[in-house]
Amino acid sequence: MNVTLNWLKNYIDFEFSPSELADRLTMLGVEVESIKQLGAELEGVVVGRVTSIRPHPNADKLVLCQVDTGETEELQIVCGAPNVREGMLAPVATIGATLPIGLTIKRAKLRGEESHGMLCSENELGLSEEAAGLMDLPADIPLGTPFSEALGLDDVVFELEVTPNRPDCLSMIGVAREIRAETGNALKLPQVGFSESETDIREMTSVTIEAPDLCPRYAARVIQGVKVGASPEWLQQRLESVGVGVINNIVDITNFVLMEYGQPLHAFDYHKLTENRIVVRRAAAGENIKTLDEIARELTPDMLVIADAEKPVALAGIMGGYDSEITETTADVLLESAYFNPSSIRATAKALGVSTEASYRFERGADPGIVLAALDRAAQLIAELAGGTICEGIVDVYPGQQPLTRIQLRPERVNFILGTALEATEMVQILSHLGFDVKANGAEDCEVIVPTFRSDITREIDLIEEIARVHGYDNIPITLPKGDIPVPAPNPSTEVRKRVKRFLLAAGMMEAINYSFCDPSCFDKIRFTADDPRRETLKLQNPLSPEMSVLRTTLLPRLLENAQHNRNHQIDTIAFFEIGSVFICNGEQKEPERVAGILAGQIGEGVYSDPYRSPDFYDIKGLVEGILEVCGIVDYTLQKTDTPTFHPGRNAKVLLGNKQVGTFGEAHPEVLDNYDLPYKAYLFEFDMEVLVDAAIFAKRFEPIPIYPTVERDLAIVVDKEVLSDMPTELIYATGGELVKSVRLFDVYEGEQVPEDKKSLAYAITYHSATETLTDKAVNTLHDKVVKHLNQKLGAELRM
Amino acid sequence: MKAELQAIQAEALEALKSVETSEALESLRITYFGRRGKLTDVMKGMGKLSKEERPEIGKLANEVRATLTQAFEAATQALHSQQQEQQLAAESVDITLPGRKPAYGKAHPVMQTLERIEEIFRQMGFEVVTGPDVETEYYNFDALNTPADHPARDLHDTFYLTDGHLLRTHTSPVQIRTMENQKPPIRIIVPGKCYRVDYDVSHTPMFHQVEGLLVDKHATFSELKGILTSFARQMFGDKTQMRFRPHFFPFTEPSAEVDITCAVCQGKGCRSCGGTGWVEILGAGAVDPAVFEAVNYDPNEVTGFAFGMGVERIANLQFRIPDMRTLYENDLRFLRQF
Repeated sequence: MNVTLNWLKNYIDFEFSPSELADRLTMLGVEVESIKQLGAELEGVVVGRVTSIRPHPNADKLVLCQVDTGETEELQIVCGAPNVREGMLAPVATIGATLPIGLTIKRAKLRGEESHGMLCSENELGLSEEAAGLMDLPADIPLGTPFSEALGLDDVVFELEVTPNRPDCLSMIGVAREIRAETGNALKLPQVGFSESETDIREMTSVTIEAPDLCPRYAARVIQGVKVGASPEWLQQRLESVGVGVINNIVDITNFVLMEYGQPLHAFDYHKLTENRIVVRRAAAGENIKTLDEIARELTPDMLVIADAEKPVALAGIMGGYDSEITETTADVLLESAYFNPSSIRATAKALGVSTEASYRFERGADPGIVLAALDRAAQLIAELAGGTICEGIVDVYPGQQPLTRIQLRPERVNFILGTALEATEMVQILSHLGFDVKANGAEDCEVIVPTFRSDITREIDLIEEIARVHGYDNIPITLPKGDIPVPAPNPSTEVRKRVKRFLLAAGMMEAINYSFCDPSCFDKIRFTADDPRRETLKLQNPLSPEMSVLRTTLLPRLLENAQHNRNHQIDTIAFFEIGSVFICNGEQKEPERVAGILAGQIGEGVYSDPYRSPDFYDIKGLVEGILEVCGIVDYTLQKTDTPTFHPGRNAKVLLGNKQVGTFGEAHPEVLDNYDLPYKAYLFEFDMEVLVDAAIFAKRFEPIPIYPTVERDLAIVVDKEVLSDMPTELIYATGGELVKSVRLFDVYEGEQVPEDKKSLAYAITYHSATETLTDKAVNTLHDKVVKHLNQKLGAELRM
Repeated sequence: MKAELQAIQAEALEALKSVETSEALESLRITYFGRRGKLTDVMKGMGKLSKEERPEIGKLANEVRATLTQAFEAATQALHSQQQEQQLAAESVDITLPGRKPAYGKAHPVMQTLERIEEIFRQMGFEVVTGPDVETEYYNFDALNTPADHPARDLHDTFYLTDGHLLRTHTSPVQIRTMENQKPPIRIIVPGKCYRVDYDVSHTPMFHQVEGLLVDKHATFSELKGILTSFARQMFGDKTQMRFRPHFFPFTEPSAEVDITCAVCQGKGCRSCGGTGWVEILGAGAVDPAVFEAVNYDPNEVTGFAFGMGVERIANLQFRIPDMRTLYENDLRFLRQF
């Protein structure tokens, strides 16, 4: 919505500068998004009179003009326009001016004669296509007047952001009312008065409302004998200044009144209405209408139309019909001013995908109380500007008249809600300036009658907001809450998220955030089987693109894409994690939180002191172990899985009892191919909820060992199939409490051991909590360990 | 004998001066103090002295021995320091060689901002709660006083799911979910992801919001101003000015948009604030009575206020990322910057 400074001043006096006005309106809640000075591009163009004309000595088609621009000396200007004549007033671009067409005026010699400026056509001033001759200006303009001012172009346009609850601000008068709340100055409403012909409108037309629920009020006037043509300059300028296109005088007038009062009007060609009458009804099934934009539209029975005796002639409150529009041949006009049900207009406009100045206002709520005033104002302007006589009377069908809204306002409540100490009299004054009718019943209680243009005000709280915004939010004190501070229950998931995140960051992993939507083809890329339940996704009805059309059920595809993106930009130190929800919809809908990570490419800084190396299975396993550790989880087991995303020999699931918390491993070579990764990638994905359930935060002090520990190394040769934790478990089992820790420090396969064997080296720490272990005791125990390893696992000591 | 002692002392002291290695020092020590050493020999000869001579010579001998012992110790010390110096000099490193820096990751810039916001509100007694991203029309709109044909729904550009659900367009539904399950006093903030059909340099289809809600027997608009002023000073610096502008949200009344002074121009007006000197950071207001009614709270018994802010927007006041879509590309060259 645009308004202009000069136009507003027609309805209220104020002294604000443009920026002050913008600030005031913004702080009232009618945000000014931009301020534009009109005519700024015409600086340097002034009004001048051609006082004399001489032939150009060296050119037949040029003349030398003496031009008076109100300065002491006249200017000599070379001109080639056919319509130049002595005594005419025309725009003069003086030296230094830059015209809208991009031309900068300099002192020049044209065929040997000096020219100190340029006499301009409308085209050269960017006003119209008219380029045939100089713009001929009215003779009564003082010479030297800036051209933009002479044309009324020296206006300031404010672009307003009007919130959906304030349709009353979608007009000049509406905005003037807001200014009234600031200044207290009286509104200057247009004085409407005209004479009517003797033809009674009731003989000319009738209005029938068959759908009073959708059309609570419909009024019409008939104007006869109009001459359709171009609007006068001032009217065109007004409309153009706020960005409304100029069409013809009749339509322009309806648009002018729309901008002035906020009331959409429509003008029909009276003779194109069958039986010259109006029926407001729901569309019949299968009915069509070709609207003004020349689009044929299919109608449905929930849409309201304005019809004549036969057919729809307008989409009620949205757009007129093509066949009944005002044309050059129109002589008689039926002018509509109505009030339509906002929801109905909104639904129809949405269904048909149209939005117009009219529908924009009706769907937010127009003012049923302004219907007649706007109609009269338009009729008057038509009579004045397009000729014609106004038939006697108005048809005004108003089946939906509502009593005015009355609201009880408790001044004490106002202060209670706002935290202010306003006097009741201040509140009354604010509301009165906004157009409310207030009856104070003492200081404790007021009755407020809401004007019809404020359909948004239905409750006491609505009035409180009015008082608050006019009083000024900035004038409301700043205090701190006095109430009790609630004590929140401990939240283990926050704690787990925090610990896991802290650990992963400390481990060098970068945090990624990915969109929750993904491409359904990603499930193929990570090789989910056809019956994998994670292919069951929630789908978007209106996705931005197929790549963002379903909600993710796993975090891994996006992390692989992140790796791919970075690889494509030659960044190969890939270490990411993400914590976020996935969306599961098999049966019950759930949004379990996950933590997932990827390692690929290289690890390290790649510098002399920290050379690159490739990550391997044990890097990702280390991350997994760390996550479990920071959650206080020690009791878990690992099992290989047949998840097709992973290398079949290099993956595992983590089980807490029989509950799976997640999986990790090396990505399957085909997965790597699908994401164009030229190197191995390692992935993990954990379910946060399972982690949270198993997490143990409680810690208790354990005594620090008093007696010395004894460390013994043990290297054994076992079959290749023996997993490294089998000896470990056996050592613990054999040593019982006396084995404090077992650390595998070397694994060796190669020349020194037989082909189907491997060597494992452990450091065993023996310790007793009650005594200092003697060498003899340790030796006995160690021998027993060696014996058990040999008996149960066939382990040979390696010397 | 006396002369002999003095000669030994002089000779030893002189010899010490030219000692350069610890081996030389040791052999010199043996020359004087060894079992056959010169000083040892003299001391051995003491027994042959007369009774009269003995005290005088004895004293002198002790003095000479003490002097030499001290001299040898000093020489040992000097030699040791000298050797250490040499060794340290030889061990000097090239300090410009790169350090062995432990790898460390960085939180996503949006998360860094979000965590800071959470921290500030936690200190003011707000509890962090969350809610689902997939919502119903009821929680996202209806219960928040935004019925189906309300024009405010146009502003949301909602993603709908084929099963009739939608992706929440704001974190406000969690207000309703919390009040349905809890009695006042309530002080919560709700961080989370939100979604709107929008994709250009300043919008991503997924973004983050932090919603706040305080409900009590008597919470006022002035307290809303207090909480948000305190937040803004902590978040943006104690010189930050704020302004509350009337605005419209269906679920608050009175409603406000809150601006802070533009950090680029300090409020003078520049390109990044559109010349106004102010930058919008959040929306807020007193909880609309209709919202209380939707959760069976009696608006005559409780009042409250709510606020909501876009995390990306706030993050970008600091980071000034020209294209917001960069945030979710997870380009390491980008993420490493923050």
